[in-house]
Amino acid sequence: MKYAQLIRLLVNRELTLRYKRSVIGIGWTLLNPVLTSAVLWYVFSFVFASRLPSGQQFAPYLMAGILLNTFFNQGLMQSADSIASNGGVLTKIYVPPQIFAISSALAGLTNFFIGLFPLAIVCYISGQPLAWTLPLVLVVGIALALLTAGLGLALSIMFIRFDDTRNIVNVLLMILMYLTPIFYPVSVMNSTMQTIIHWNPLTSYLDIFRWAFSNNATPTLFSWVYMSIWSIFALLLGTFVFRKYWPRTVAML
Amino acid sequence: MPVIDVKNVNVTYRVLMNKSSSLKELFRDAVKGKTRVIDYVALQDVSFTVDKGEVVAILGRNGAGKSTLLKVLAGVLPPTQGVSKVNGKIAPMIELGAGFHPEMTGAENVLFYSALMGRDVKRVKARTAAIGEWAGVSDHMDFPLRTFSSGMVARLAFATATDEQAEVLLVDEVLSVGDADFQAKSKARMHELINSGAAVVLVTHDMRAVLELATKAVWLENGHVKMIGNPTEVVAAYESM
Repeated sequence: MKYAQLIRLLVNRELTLRYKRSVIGIGWTLLNPVLTSAVLWYVFSFVFASRLPSGQQFAPYLMAGILLNTFFNQGLMQSADSIASNGGVLTKIYVPPQIFAISSALAGLTNFFIGLFPLAIVCYISGQPLAWTLPLVLVVGIALALLTAGLGLALSIMFIRFDDTRNIVNVLLMILMYLTPIFYPVSVMNSTMQTIIHWNPLTSYLDIFRWAFSNNATPTLFSWVYMSIWSIFALLLGTFVFRKYWPRTVAML
Repeated sequence: MPVIDVKNVNVTYRVLMNKSSSLKELFRDAVKGKTRVIDYVALQDVSFTVDKGEVVAILGRNGAGKSTLLKVLAGVLPPTQGVSKVNGKIAPMIELGAGFHPEMTGAENVLFYSALMGRDVKRVKARTAAIGEWAGVSDHMDFPLRTFSSGMVARLAFATATDEQAEVLLVDEVLSVGDADFQAKSKARMHELINSGAAVVLVTHDMRAVLELATKAVWLENGHVKMIGNPTEVVAAYESM
């Protein structure tokens, strides 16, 4: 592909820039999920740990949720932002703008994969064996990258046109986070909430990820189908919205 | 076949009156029936061609549509109507250093900027040292760009942009960067590029440069072509306005 080199440079830039001025640099990518998980683990293990099905450990359950949620949240915001923040380039040099959104999603994916190492260590410490289905994590990662890039592309147009979209999306993402079983088991919720959580697409991604990595959840066929549908839908939506509105939006940059 | 062929190009910006820049305002205005869309015509029925080896200067006052035209030529802004065809590799020398990042090193920026312009990263990597040397910033290439002076940034951008020969040069007032020494050097390189047979579109307010370099001049006013032809005549008419 003609733009593969550019995408690689962009992903690299995004991964290194965030922590460029810090002493441990990219080490934060490893440390961030660990610290967040440690805090939440300390707070919630008293409440929720006993509610998990037997054979499932709370620490890896929690950390898997945090990794996946960080990937989605940061990836989405960054890919939605990427086109506006590279407006200076995009109005002078022709590059397909989609490349910036895709690179942001790929940077999120890379961070996610890096985070799997501390997760494996947490699994080991808490006595939760890794599952033989581990390679399937790759599938979940790519599916989530597609979801992120697709939604990010559609949102990028909104971000350029309306200043307040960012705040609205932030609120929505927070609601979505609480509707995803990140730090609680679904069983603690009442049946209405369970239905809502069930239809939250992120739940499917998360269930499959936990199961594939360390057999820490029980996804169904529905999860797989639902995940695929959302990834494909997001990609089509993003492509369509972007193609349709970009020519008019580029004039605003 | 001309290298650049612009035919009946129109560009219309759609502007929301009372400019609701937030969803909240847009919603409020839409409910009250107050949204009004007006079309701002930036370019109207613009046609011209540029052949290999030709240097076309675009003249016009601020807001005449020069920048919009360059965006159309660069392929960044699709025309609302008409076609703009450019055959060949474009070196857009419009606001040099777009895409430079202050936290990345000089060398990284050279690489990134070149990749944006569609150049082969491997080949550029081998050229990085030479580019830095030509720009006179050799001993800074491994430091973040924010430690560069603005003159150094401009020189590095110019050196990178002009490092490879392109078939099409889009130039927006970049003939004068850096100190007197570097200006002479960059001017010489510009002439070299222009005379090497590229098709050049030059936007400038510097009439001396137009007379010196251009083989054809296009005078834009309020989005349409007011006059096109021999630079001497067009400049004379433009200046007598």
